[in-house]
Amino acid sequence: MNMNKKVSFTALFLIVSLIFTMTSGFVFPVSAQNKQVSLTAIVAEPKERWDLLFNTALQKLKQKHPGLDIKLDYRVLPYDATRTQILTAMAGKTPIDLISADQIWLGEFAQGGFLTDLSDRAKTWGRQSDWYQTNWDGGKYNGKVYGIWAWTDIRSMWYWKDLLNKAGVNPESLQTWDGYLAGSKALSNALKAQGIQPMHLVGASHSPDMWYPYLWMLGGEILKQKSGHPTKGTYWYPSFNSTQGVKALGFLKQQVDAGIKPQVNHFWGQEFADRKFAVMLEGSWLLGTFPRDQWPTINHKVGMLPVFPVPNKNTKSTTMMGGWILSIPQTSQNKDLAWELLTTMVDPSVLTPMLQKEGYLPTQKPIGEGPYAVKLNATIPYYKEMISMIPTAHSRPNIPEYPQIADSIKQAIDEVYYGMKDPKQALNDAAAKSAKALGW
Amino acid sequence: MSNILAKAEPYLFLTPAFAILLIFLIFPLFWNIYISFHDVSFITILKNWEYSGWTNFVDLLNDPNFYTSLRTTVLFVAGSVALQFTIGMLMAVLLSQKVRAAGVLRAIFIIPWTISAVIAAFSFKFIFDYNFGILNYIFQQIGLQPVGWLSDPNIVIWSLVIANVWYGTPFTMLFITAGLLSINPSLYEAAVIDGATKFRSFLGITLPLLKPFIVINLILITMWSVNFFDLQLVMTGGGPLFASTTASLYMYRQAFEFGLLSKGAAAGLILIIINISVAFVYLKLLKR
Repeated sequence: MNMNKKVSFTALFLIVSLIFTMTSGFVFPVSAQNKQVSLTAIVAEPKERWDLLFNTALQKLKQKHPGLDIKLDYRVLPYDATRTQILTAMAGKTPIDLISADQIWLGEFAQGGFLTDLSDRAKTWGRQSDWYQTNWDGGKYNGKVYGIWAWTDIRSMWYWKDLLNKAGVNPESLQTWDGYLAGSKALSNALKAQGIQPMHLVGASHSPDMWYPYLWMLGGEILKQKSGHPTKGTYWYPSFNSTQGVKALGFLKQQVDAGIKPQVNHFWGQEFADRKFAVMLEGSWLLGTFPRDQWPTINHKVGMLPVFPVPNKNTKSTTMMGGWILSIPQTSQNKDLAWELLTTMVDPSVLTPMLQKEGYLPTQKPIGEGPYAVKLNATIPYYKEMISMIPTAHSRPNIPEYPQIADSIKQAIDEVYYGMKDPKQALNDAAAKSAKALGW
Repeated sequence: MSNILAKAEPYLFLTPAFAILLIFLIFPLFWNIYISFHDVSFITILKNWEYSGWTNFVDLLNDPNFYTSLRTTVLFVAGSVALQFTIGMLMAVLLSQKVRAAGVLRAIFIIPWTISAVIAAFSFKFIFDYNFGILNYIFQQIGLQPVGWLSDPNIVIWSLVIANVWYGTPFTMLFITAGLLSINPSLYEAAVIDGATKFRSFLGITLPLLKPFIVINLILITMWSVNFFDLQLVMTGGGPLFASTTASLYMYRQAFEFGLLSKGAAAGLILIIINISVAFVYLKLLKR
């Protein structure tokens, strides 16, 4: 009896499967005829921004190509894993159609022959003049276009208004080095009992990023071109150990001497949103740590100064600009379609809603200055102030050796933080290591 | 003919195991040696690999950070192995006594070992955090000053050792438990009849019979601690001041952060030599 039941069930299952297979062909004749194309992408967290961008762009792409059944498989990886995963995938010749690259990775990827030269495509596209020059140049390596800088971010000074009030600190006074240090002392005294620290000082792996603005505002540079390279003729040479660099690092030392503790763990603004710090120099993404429904009134509680503190009022402040570049790997088997997807993603009508939701800054003039800007200005708190920093912002070198150079600078900063070396000695040692990494 | 087949039979049975060993162990090892004598980086990986002789090893031995990483490794491994072994042994021996719900306790104690090392690392990163960490919160509640568990170069390695001990001790406990179960209980009964105390039985029966288990356990936990880098990578990234960069993390960073695959491979070879030397010393001890 049991056996009979099993046989009947199997027979029923087979018949139903057969009918389903046959009818599915008749019900969806169009999709059966369409050529299926699968695009793959590796991008960096957070995921929401990519969900928004890819969904809209894919819909548009499908509308453009009704004869194609386009599928998109995108992997969103943590920041630290993204570079390694992309590199190992490309070195292993895994077909990938689109990647998001941090601006500083571009040189390494391009030099390794991993990226498609997009120069001709970009020329035909004709939208180059829509980009701010710095942002367009950020997608180039050795004169060729290897990526399109999709959006950017800047670092500025954020503070809790009530905490500064309580300590009797005028936010404007924090704009100078002396004022910043004095403010730290006043805040420390007033907030100690509440367990709130006055100022945030980055001690994590990206601490050089928060030191560069001081270097740049003093007229220093990370690297300079120099002739006489053993194999490359004229090539980059470390210049961060200049007098400007020493003075800039000296300000970090002054902060430590004033009792500000370098933070080895970085929570990308969450520590500020949780009121663990009264003042934080942090990227524009900090806004994302506050719920969206608080954005319209956030300026009542949180203040923002579009500056890094300056040594004196005659010095012009500057900041560091980061952001993400979209590129097409050499291993892509659908380069034309990938380019279409990429250009659709950076189309102002597709990109702006994402920027608006996530609080990122545009790299394109039509978004930064046109009618879209009105939209962004109405949604993103302190948008105008953040945009005002872009013209004076700098970006890091995108050469292949940059990760080693940044690591040497990070070591120099740590040595100063922990009182092992003075700024001059620490930077000179880092410069010697960097010069070696650069092949000198 | 059948005689030849009979002789070949054991080798035929060994073929799959040998093939796996060849593909997953021997080939990568020789490939690693090959890379370490060539100039391979992320930039040159798709191009011609130039023979570079001993350059990568010389670079490595000229890098002061490599020596720092070796010193850090010694501290990390010595601390981890000593504590993992002592605590694990103690737990195994105690749970082998007539303890109520010993099985349930064993199951609870094994939980850390079942968790991914990365998840354990993230948990400890938050536990040890200077501002948000539960440990400093408790310290402050009882009137103590917060400690820079992950930010003080003199303390950070011990924070990592604590995390590794929490993560790795269950293995020792399980391994030694297996050893204890293999000892014939009648030996203890005979010892009791002869008037031996529990401590005397432990020294005279348990320890000598556990010796092979202890040595193998020590070899394994030493090698794992030498090679472990998940905790360091997630909890500190090797900082501050390389104080938590062990040799395995140094190797990883050279290869995958800086893209210097050959230098990473050279560091990997030195790690292999360290591992083999340690295993050799332990095995010598076992034969004594």
